[in-house]
Amino acid sequence: MGNLTEILWPQQSSLPLLIWLQLLPLLGAAVVFAFKERSTAVRAGKVFALAELLLGIVVTSHIDPTLPALQLAERFDLLAYHVAVDGLSLVFILLAALLTFLMTLYGMSRGMISPGRLFAVLLLAEAGLVGMLVTVNLLWFCLYSALELWAVAYLLRRWASSRAEILALSRFIQYQSFGWALFAAGCLVLGWAYADARAGYWSFDLFDLIGAVPVGKFQTAAFYLMFYGLAIRTPLFPLHGWLPNMAQHGLIAVAPALMVGVKVGIYGMVRFILPLTPAAVEYWQPYIVGFAMTGIFFTAALAFQQTNLRRLLAFAVVSHTSLLVIGVFSLHESGIQGAILLAANFGLAATGMWFIVGFVFRRTGTTELHELSGLFERIPFLAIAFLSFGLAIVGMPGTPGFDAAHLVLEAAIDRFGALPTVAAALGNVAAAGFLLWAFQRAFLSPHKAGKELDVDRTLPMEYLVCGIALAAMLAIGFFTEPWLRLTETASQLAAARFSR
Amino acid sequence: MSLPLLSLLVFLPLVGAITLWLLPARATRYAVALTMLLTLAATCVALLAFEPAGERFQLVERTPWITSLNVQYLLGVDGLSVLFLPSTALLFLGSLVASWNRIEESPRLHFSLLLLLQSATLGIFSALDTVLFFFFWELTVVPLYFLLARWGATSASPQAAARYFLIMLAGGIPLLITFIILATSQSVLTFDLMALLANPLPRSTQSIVFLLCLLGFGVKVPLVPLHTWLPQFSLAAPGSLTALLVGLKLGAFGLIRFAIPLAPQAAQDLHWLLAGLGTLSLLYGAVGILGQSNLRIGLAYASICHVGLAILGLASFTAQGVHGAVSLLLSFSVATGGAFLLLEFLRQRTGSTDINALGGAAKTMPLLASGFLICGLAGVGMPGTSSFPGEFSLILATLQSHTGAGMAALFGLSIAAGAFLALYRKAFFGPVTRPEVAQAQDLRPREWVVLVTLVMMIVGIGVYPAPWFDIVRPASEAWAAGLGN
Repeated sequence: MGNLTEILWPQQSSLPLLIWLQLLPLLGAAVVFAFKERSTAVRAGKVFALAELLLGIVVTSHIDPTLPALQLAERFDLLAYHVAVDGLSLVFILLAALLTFLMTLYGMSRGMISPGRLFAVLLLAEAGLVGMLVTVNLLWFCLYSALELWAVAYLLRRWASSRAEILALSRFIQYQSFGWALFAAGCLVLGWAYADARAGYWSFDLFDLIGAVPVGKFQTAAFYLMFYGLAIRTPLFPLHGWLPNMAQHGLIAVAPALMVGVKVGIYGMVRFILPLTPAAVEYWQPYIVGFAMTGIFFTAALAFQQTNLRRLLAFAVVSHTSLLVIGVFSLHESGIQGAILLAANFGLAATGMWFIVGFVFRRTGTTELHELSGLFERIPFLAIAFLSFGLAIVGMPGTPGFDAAHLVLEAAIDRFGALPTVAAALGNVAAAGFLLWAFQRAFLSPHKAGKELDVDRTLPMEYLVCGIALAAMLAIGFFTEPWLRLTETASQLAAARFSR
Repeated sequence: MSLPLLSLLVFLPLVGAITLWLLPARATRYAVALTMLLTLAATCVALLAFEPAGERFQLVERTPWITSLNVQYLLGVDGLSVLFLPSTALLFLGSLVASWNRIEESPRLHFSLLLLLQSATLGIFSALDTVLFFFFWELTVVPLYFLLARWGATSASPQAAARYFLIMLAGGIPLLITFIILATSQSVLTFDLMALLANPLPRSTQSIVFLLCLLGFGVKVPLVPLHTWLPQFSLAAPGSLTALLVGLKLGAFGLIRFAIPLAPQAAQDLHWLLAGLGTLSLLYGAVGILGQSNLRIGLAYASICHVGLAILGLASFTAQGVHGAVSLLLSFSVATGGAFLLLEFLRQRTGSTDINALGGAAKTMPLLASGFLICGLAGVGMPGTSSFPGEFSLILATLQSHTGAGMAALFGLSIAAGAFLALYRKAFFGPVTRPEVAQAQDLRPREWVVLVTLVMMIVGIGVYPAPWFDIVRPASEAWAAGLGN
């Protein structure tokens, strides 16, 4: 085991689809930027976001998920350009495109300032995300990651919602640049080990590196650098310090959705860390799982203590991300498959919740839980949507979270036994606890006497944004089959090198 | 099988719930009533189509659902579950009547949730695939949470709702893990209950499966010490909702359907645990009634007491035991469910079900008082009521298998009967002291219909139980034979 195979694009389609997948949002960003703040800019932004989503669906229809290979590959050796996709990356690509499209709708209904500029940056961030998901070259991954981080940092600076934005921004930059540097250093170690083995010929291509995995301390070093780099980005307990601040003071929905909606960290672990440092992964597996277990409960406990809805959601994200890491590091095909699907489910559901928090903020000007009350009376649809997204996060049957969580639990029973699995599953109950608690305080509690509740009814655009997200979630929840098929072979391949 | 009868009756309420939003608001209640009547008719057709002497599982519908995990959409009923379908439909209809005029805030949402709950409940009784079962099982929690949090009887309702939700979610975890262990223990991954029953687990895994199941279903039953949510729930919820929760013994049904047949040897090794928990619940429930001043909480404890008796009977692992348990559970859905509905009528009139705020209620509301007495007597197993045949065979089975526990059960039942009558006397007899009671009106015609239906069923089944027993008996024998006795 260990050799990757790929299928070049001419065998599967008449056009190099993946290059278009990367260029379309960049092109969109340029066009929208050129239109400045004219209303055409807004329309163009929506069109490009929708086109990217449709292109993603086209790409999905062109691959055969049952083949154990990376597909639609494109190479251009001069720039070390090498891209390819499989079922795992497509799940994330579709999610990224869907979330970006929803964000363009959301940005409009929130009535944000200078929407033209916002959409241009949004499309740039999407280009970064999609690029990270299609490339199989570590340097390109780092490059795209830098592009996306820059875009989010710019968003935070320009559209922040409170005065504490500088704190949020500086935390974000400190953490992310450090994480980025760690990951890049890990890549350098791998590249150097390759150069050492191949007489000075450097490469950062996954297909090359996998044949020359460093041994001993070098592998451990590469593993540590890359794992912590991604752990900061994901974010994984105890490296999550940037997220609550950013969530509370930064742009309400767009920035968190870009950073944690699409779990590039989890994707990077499966795509790069597992195959490139297998021995280190196996050695450190118990420690990572132990930390993740602690993380579930520690951050859940922190979530219970929050008085701000936005901070609470940030801790919810950290808590459920720990479950994803348990899935990935079960090193079991069901665990990896479950973690990928669960990541997509969390991404969609958490983004939906951020959107609703944004809608609430537009009405009330606050997300402090003690100042919110009785919203159910005025915006019942948004309240029910909020709870539905929460139920998806706790893996209620009928949402994509159920089958995915079920796969993770199956893997966990197999690898860690019944008791740790029960403990991990109890994390879900904790999550249900604080989400319900927040829901009750914000939406159900009787509104305070003397303070007239005067909030707008649900707007058509809000129905649309939440309706699309809800419909997508329920559709995937009831018809999980295609998604399982999309990810099955790729997960088996990822887990095969750890077969016990 | 040409017509998918079970799918029809499971999804009919759901279709009704969606249709509500297309109709004008004033038609809501009538549309709900029509949906529930149609569902009741469909369940009666299913009951008639079911042949007690035929195969174990009938009306089976099988469609692949998630093929790569071999999860199927698999419905079917046997003699143990088929009678629960009409009793569910009937109870929901009663609940609708009890809340007929009472829903002032967003009635559409309320009734859609109620219909969703009905779909999920009927699904629980007819699912034969463990994943599908779990799906319906968890689906009941969401509408119940909303119904209680939003339309509760007190200001503490949201807290009680959240507590119920979390406890049920936690109870779901052991069940899900059990189903995964069961599915992976087979040579091919399967969640099909019939296939799982055909290939029993190795002895070593049976214990963990049984214990996890006992935990998961025990929360819902509820077995002492997992019962803490029920008294709180019954106080916070309107009686129309508690009737559904207490009347439908989903937890005990789960034990009968899954826990014991899937881990038969472990269940028999651990018979002392099952019998012990049953006896504990029975005695605790009986003593619990003594300390209550509120009729709703008293009734909640009475239901803990009775379901304890059913569990104790199950621990005999005989056809007689399971037969008695199923009969008793069915009788409760009428008697206890009916009692909660009558208490809801009472609460709507006097604003309370606390005995201190009542007193002499029988003077102004003789019909309500006598209806409540009949339901209550059925609840304590009075001969001539529907509970008596089931209770009798349970006691017989228990005295043979666990003699000591059986004696304790008789003792506990006497306490429960005494405690219930004491509460009843204080609430309904004596001088009228409160103006609310003095001015209260007796049952209205539509409430009267509910009462008459209940009483006819309680007395009818109690006097002539044979036709119902004939449906349950063959399945009980198959159940007991499946345990290897």
